[in-house]
Amino acid sequence: MTTTNKVDVGPDAPRPFPLRALRTILSILRQLAERPLSLIGSLMVLVFVLTAIFAPVIAPFDFDQIATGPRSAPPSADNLFGTDRLGRDVFSRVVWGAREIILLPGIATAISVLLGATLGMIAGYMGGWVDEVISRLFDSLLAIPAMVLALVMLATIGPSAAGIVIVIVLLYTPIITRVIRSATLTVRSLGYVEAARLRGESTLYIIVREILPGILPPLVVEAALRFSYAIFLTASLGFLGLGVQPPSPDWGRMVGEARNNYFQAPWTMLYPALAISILVIGVNLLADGLRRIFRYEGQL
Amino acid sequence: MFVHSAHLVGRSGVSRIKYTTNIVLILTLVLTLALMSFSVSAQDASGGSFAVGVEAPVNLDPATGPNDQEALFNRMVFDYLVDITADSQIEPALATDWTISDDGLTYTFTLREDVTFHDGSSFGPEDVVFTFERLQELESPALNLLGAFTVEEGEGNTVVFNISAPNADFLYGTGQRFAAILSSEDTAFDTGVDANGTGAFMVSEYLPGDRAVFMANPDYWMEGAPMLDEVTHIYIEDKNAQVDALLAGTVDYIFKLSLDQVQRLADNDFVTTLQVATNQHPVIRIHADEGSLAEDVRMRQAFKLATDRDQINEFLWEGRATVGNNNPIGPAYGPFYDPSISEPAYDPEAACALIQEVTGQERISVTLRGPDAFGGQYADMATLIEQQWEAACIDTEIEITPEGVYYSDGTWLETEVGITGWGSRPVPQSYLVEAYVPDASFNEARWNDEEVGELVAEAASTADTEERAAIYSQIAEIFAERGPIIVPFFAPMLGAVSNRTEGLVMNPFPGLTDLRMVSVSE
Repeated sequence: MTTTNKVDVGPDAPRPFPLRALRTILSILRQLAERPLSLIGSLMVLVFVLTAIFAPVIAPFDFDQIATGPRSAPPSADNLFGTDRLGRDVFSRVVWGAREIILLPGIATAISVLLGATLGMIAGYMGGWVDEVISRLFDSLLAIPAMVLALVMLATIGPSAAGIVIVIVLLYTPIITRVIRSATLTVRSLGYVEAARLRGESTLYIIVREILPGILPPLVVEAALRFSYAIFLTASLGFLGLGVQPPSPDWGRMVGEARNNYFQAPWTMLYPALAISILVIGVNLLADGLRRIFRYEGQL
Repeated sequence: MFVHSAHLVGRSGVSRIKYTTNIVLILTLVLTLALMSFSVSAQDASGGSFAVGVEAPVNLDPATGPNDQEALFNRMVFDYLVDITADSQIEPALATDWTISDDGLTYTFTLREDVTFHDGSSFGPEDVVFTFERLQELESPALNLLGAFTVEEGEGNTVVFNISAPNADFLYGTGQRFAAILSSEDTAFDTGVDANGTGAFMVSEYLPGDRAVFMANPDYWMEGAPMLDEVTHIYIEDKNAQVDALLAGTVDYIFKLSLDQVQRLADNDFVTTLQVATNQHPVIRIHADEGSLAEDVRMRQAFKLATDRDQINEFLWEGRATVGNNNPIGPAYGPFYDPSISEPAYDPEAACALIQEVTGQERISVTLRGPDAFGGQYADMATLIEQQWEAACIDTEIEITPEGVYYSDGTWLETEVGITGWGSRPVPQSYLVEAYVPDASFNEARWNDEEVGELVAEAASTADTEERAAIYSQIAEIFAERGPIIVPFFAPMLGAVSNRTEGLVMNPFPGLTDLRMVSVSE
């Protein structure tokens, strides 16, 4: 069996585009499966995604149902991960919590990637004052420590799911923009882009059809990494009490709430903390696998 | 035995001398040991060093510093005109006695002689005048209890206060935490290390955010006080870390603990847990002014019927707290608390019926905002309330924010349905004046009930305990009938001390715990 480290995402790939995309995805999955660590990471992420989808089937109780057993009771047959201070089933809360910890960072990362890729390509391709304005604006945002910016923004707009999405988008769009701008600067000087320009193609056409395929490798890797950081940021904000509101089973908030009685009921902190760790490790392994597949050596 | 002894004694003169010498030696030894033992006991009862684990103070100016950690610092260094004990009794301090004129408008305090500040300057009437005029200049929260007054030096070693209207709580006002007596010769009062009071301890070292070390004042006026040689406040922001420090023997006293933290300490042989009944309570309030959700009294009743206070007490306190009866005057106030006023039990169906009667809708939706206080307890309470209200046709969205953010962003008073934590006060009048009379500065329920305002004013000028209790009972009845607040419980104050500590009585406002007669055994 012959393996290849080259994915058909470049300008020489055959058309039409949907077929090419399908081939690319299958190629990526095959190559991920060939690397043990990448496979493990992918499976870890898959398990959590399936858990999130089938939470109503897997969880024996609603996430907010109180008195499912004695309060702060250790793990048992009735409550696999034990119960918290209000007698809520920790296993059910961890299972339901998978939805929020994947959905919120997922949505926020998708928006960040969309905005960051667009602005990065525009800045990199057009250059001049457009590049200056976008780059300096985002440089000033990047100069502020991420957590400080997040805390100030959430304290201002109020803690909520929408607030977290806004914060992540504002924090990660500049980073993605900067990465994509760098990649675009490399691609724009290639011959096929120059040829398209000479043919008189519009800017929109050149960006979408000529540059976008060329910057996909760093974009995919960056998206996976940003997703991993977004999970961590969401959990951190939840831990600090500025995340999703109770009685939501936010893993970070669960750890924060359990902090006060971890000596009496360590299971209330252990399982959500483990879930955060495993998911973040899984996403990172997946991102690392993608980086190797794309032979992307840029700054991560 | 006696015969045998006589025989021994009688054997020879040398033996007799030896025997006598031995007896004297033994007696001397016993006497020496007894004296040593007495000496050790005496050392046990005084001297030694003591450490308190507490959050770092921010504003050390006694006139304005509001929190426990600030009161704890100032209680060490300063004295007050009168002392308010842990059970709300008034005792002489820098004032040895006082007289009140027949019309209740003039208070004359006789000051203690031969008292000096830590810098060696003498204490006198000018210092009292300076202190209380400064409270007025700074518009200190102390004025809530003191009201309007003038102060001047009287004849001899006295000061005279004239108040504009009779105020039954004026004496409490002179002993409250903001009214620490300052030296009129000083100019800076929030530096910590330069704090200059007449108190039992002097500041030896102050490292902001780290620790404060206090040494005993050798010239302190109170006989036998302080018993400790040295007290250290070690600043630890995290409550769990404070518990760890107590278990490790780094500190001797911590307070404002959660039930979880006390349970962790309960089985430890080196620590004693403390519990004091207080009037500290959360208030769930709904805006009641025109156009607001609870403008209609029936809606206020619906929220009361929708709230299961017993369940909240059971889940959050395992029944240790006192279930509230929806007014701020709790059982810690003794005669002023009226247990006969009962509130309706949890009845979600009745609540639904009232809501439908008022709004014509099956259900209503509200956002319940509150601070993340007491180790997640308020978030747990909000979760319980959300479920209780859901059964009572009220859909609730919870919004819990960190305590500092909640109270500092200026919007908590604008919140239509909110939770507020009220700390313990020495007298019930404080709550009523601060939050429940028309135009009160913290009228968070936007409740403008003229009758309550008149009764509160009447209580302020009523010195007789029975008459005052009757007025408070009337106020409590109004709260039951049409008050826009729910008081789910009155919380106990929980703390813990090392077992080597003797004589410590935790104050309901724990920062005011008096350490003057506390001792440690080594």
